[in-house]
Amino acid sequence: MVEPLRHVTPFWPAFWRGFRALMPLWLGIIPFAVAYAVTARAAGLGVGETQLMSLTVFAGASQFAAAGLFAGGASAWGIVATTFLLNARHVLYGLSLARQVPLTRPERVLAAQFLTDEAYGVTVVHGAREPGGLSFGFLLGAELSLYAVWNAATFAGALAGAVLPDPAALGVGVVFPLAFLGLLVPLLVDRKAVIVALASGLGAWGLSRVLPGGLVVLLAGVGGALLGAVLVTRRGEA
Amino acid sequence: MSVPLVTLLMWLVTYPARLLGLSLGRLKLPPFWLAFLRFVPVSVFAALIVPDVLGSPEWPRRLVGCAVGVGLMWRTRNLALGILGGFGAYWLARLAGL
Repeated sequence: MVEPLRHVTPFWPAFWRGFRALMPLWLGIIPFAVAYAVTARAAGLGVGETQLMSLTVFAGASQFAAAGLFAGGASAWGIVATTFLLNARHVLYGLSLARQVPLTRPERVLAAQFLTDEAYGVTVVHGAREPGGLSFGFLLGAELSLYAVWNAATFAGALAGAVLPDPAALGVGVVFPLAFLGLLVPLLVDRKAVIVALASGLGAWGLSRVLPGGLVVLLAGVGGALLGAVLVTRRGEA
Repeated sequence: MSVPLVTLLMWLVTYPARLLGLSLGRLKLPPFWLAFLRFVPVSVFAALIVPDVLGSPEWPRRLVGCAVGVGLMWRTRNLALGILGGFGAYWLARLAGL
């Protein structure tokens, strides 16, 4: 394969731009991580076990689900299968990112560990503004920004779990959709994007009454993107 | 099964999904699938948001918070302001008994 000539972006400035670009999302992440840690501790996990999951799995929704399942006494395989369903959507993020960010093999191996909804969203939304185009540095900066705050907040939540008020009483549940709306709104640039968002969102709402959350996001996400592709290519605009 | 072992298995089903997409990115794709990938973020974000708002027992308050948050984000393009304003509106709705 012929490697195209490309502008070489310096690593550290791009890293810190990525790191800072994700910082507004910390507001949504911190209560989410604290709530996970509190749930996990209440389910009988130790501080070390609670932290280990944040350090390795590093996937908020599935960690939350696992903590809930541990509490409910679900089988280990049920927890692992739910995790797989919830995290299969990362394949789509990787496919999309790999087309926009030039990555070597070691960079892919490293970037994969820290890939999340939020890092993906911030990277694609800010990509257009990056001088010289998106780079590994920007992606890793955004990823580690989330990793650092997720693990710090997990640790704080695991230690303080017993004395914190109930997250539901604080109303922090609304922060999760607000954070994702912040990522979605800049992407609604034309009518087709709005149609796809409405179809996928309402479809997911309907599916969520009968299917587990991870599968809903996967099915509605794929369905909405297929609809968008049909809308674009049918008119020969691709 | 012990918690660390379950955690290890959770990691083993999560990491490959993350690596797989990144590793297949150099595939030459037809226009339909390029368009598909362009719509993935819009579609996935909407699928994460809507059930979390409308499917919640406290959906009227969340709807108010999200409507105000979107309005602020649309006008200012400022994410933190949108989250804070939306969270404030949610609490106003909650205190108003919605």
